[in-house]
Amino acid sequence: MGAILELQGVSMSFGGLKAVDSLTFDVRENEIVSIIGPNGSGKTTTFNVISGLYEPDSGDILLKGESVAGLRPDQVHDKGISRTFQSLRLFSNMSVLDNVLVGMHSVTDAGLIASMLRLPKVRREEAAMRAKAREILEMFPGRFSGPRQQQPAFSLSYANRRRLEIARALASEPALLLLDEPVAGMNPMESREVMEQIKVLRDKGYTILMIEHDMHVVEGVSDRVIAMDHGVKIAEGTYTEVANDPQVVEAYLGKRAAEATA
Amino acid sequence: MRLSEVTERVSAATARVPRSVYAVGGLVIAIIFPLLNMAGWVETAWLRVGVISLLFVMLSLGLNIVMGETGLLNLGYIAFFAFGAYTTALLSSPKFELRWPFLVVVVLSALIAMVAGFVIGLPTLRLRGDYLAIVTLAFGEIVRLTITNLQDFTNGPNGITGIYSPRLVGEGALESLGSTGPAAWLVIDKPVEYYYLVLVCVAVTAVLISNLKNSRIGRAWNALREDELAAVSAGITASRAKLLSVVLSAGIAGFAGSLFAYYSNVISPESFLFMQSVIVVCMVVLGGMGSIPGVILGAIVLQALPQVIRQAAGAARSEFEVYRMLIFGIIIVVMVIFRPEGLLPDTLWRREAHEVDPREQEKTRQSLFDLEEGEKDLEV
Repeated sequence: MGAILELQGVSMSFGGLKAVDSLTFDVRENEIVSIIGPNGSGKTTTFNVISGLYEPDSGDILLKGESVAGLRPDQVHDKGISRTFQSLRLFSNMSVLDNVLVGMHSVTDAGLIASMLRLPKVRREEAAMRAKAREILEMFPGRFSGPRQQQPAFSLSYANRRRLEIARALASEPALLLLDEPVAGMNPMESREVMEQIKVLRDKGYTILMIEHDMHVVEGVSDRVIAMDHGVKIAEGTYTEVANDPQVVEAYLGKRAAEATA
Repeated sequence: MRLSEVTERVSAATARVPRSVYAVGGLVIAIIFPLLNMAGWVETAWLRVGVISLLFVMLSLGLNIVMGETGLLNLGYIAFFAFGAYTTALLSSPKFELRWPFLVVVVLSALIAMVAGFVIGLPTLRLRGDYLAIVTLAFGEIVRLTITNLQDFTNGPNGITGIYSPRLVGEGALESLGSTGPAAWLVIDKPVEYYYLVLVCVAVTAVLISNLKNSRIGRAWNALREDELAAVSAGITASRAKLLSVVLSAGIAGFAGSLFAYYSNVISPESFLFMQSVIVVCMVVLGGMGSIPGVILGAIVLQALPQVIRQAAGAARSEFEVYRMLIFGIIIVVMVIFRPEGLLPDTLWRREAHEVDPREQEKTRQSLFDLEEGEKDLEV
């Protein structure tokens, strides 16, 4: 299967700090790839570069063979990459349903005049958007049912807010979904549920690149794992390969631990 | 009962009334009002107050788009009103001996104001908060001072006089129809006629904006206000959406300015002082940012109430003039303390005003979650 996303020698530095150092990897169609690494290893920076929040200093990022490096975040989103944030970034005063509807902004096209006049075309589009948004929310059974869709996002429980962020990212049916620590702060039962959800998304044909610290989740869903440290990719392969890589063990536990396992 | 309880109850009560009740009720009152004048119960002076109030309603509706929806402060909003008014004055007065058709002039006035909105909007897109306030304030002053000093064009401080009355149909049609009976309404030159003309314009504007508010564009504006980074990451082009709101609000002000010029016959720079911008901001804040019924009410209260008080003050009239701005100030301070979301609040802004600090909430949730769900799951 072809590569959806390709990073070719992407570097990004802040002043003297090389946050991401000539990073090269790819994500193939319908695959779940996890990026792991200690804090400060450049994982979130990688996400920010891919999603257009930062422009890479050098290297190229290809989505389905087309370069998206240096585009604005909304343009990257238009090309088909949508993301969630490590620190939740919902529109907290807006309703659950509206949050998902905002996620559809780029795939709908009612213009100013048409919207003002509420032309039949606009009404149809709006109705279709709402139906679609409900359908997406239904993918999280029992979490966003009925009246809850009209509640403000801030009233949701922490885990549900994380789910809502995923729902918002799914609203545009992206070619690539970036999940930044989807189970952060969740308890074991909730993480397991999200894990199952992510598998369901793969079954539906989504391609997912995620950052995760919870090794159970990484082990449970990843087709491939990439380990980073100090902005450099130090290992890549299946979960077992990466978890037993001496460099990875060293990055997490220190040199002596790495020698002990070796 | 504590004051906060009173305001809570008022909130609860106003929230229960469906919005359509306000809309229909308000419109009925607005339609009936001039009839009271025709019946001789109300002086014509009040009809004039009504026209000006409606013009300010329109200004508030326009400013509400940038302030209430997109969340950008504009302290020079009256400049767009001036652009509309002067465009109309130049195209329909003896100044250049022009009398372009009413519809053309109104549309052109709105368009010129929109161009001005684009010109000031483009370079200020990145600014927010205090910086945006300063730049828009300066813009308002620059426009006013330019008008004052551009003698050849605008007659400077003397203003432009003798602006022609709007004719709804062409000259030829007017002659054949005569000027009696219903045909008299084709030339707008009496307060009643202006009143209904402006009322129709306000009602249409309110409906169009209300549709827009509930569309994908309105949601995009709200999303940008709530969290710009998340909004752009969700595919909203920030610059385009913001510019759209600035240009649209400028267009509405230009439209209102055009009607104002026609109505008042004479315009001069002193109608476009900084204080006027501040008053429109107050109208939006008082009524409720983001709320269409709210800003309509806010504009009427702040524009009509001083007139009512002035009337009631009788001999102490000049006394009241002195304290007018003081009273304005007190009203706004009291509002911001006790009812920051405004008289008839918008849902989002009500949540905004009463939400506990989200980070604080996060902490509470996290600890609750650790206590309840966390332990329960450990047992499992």
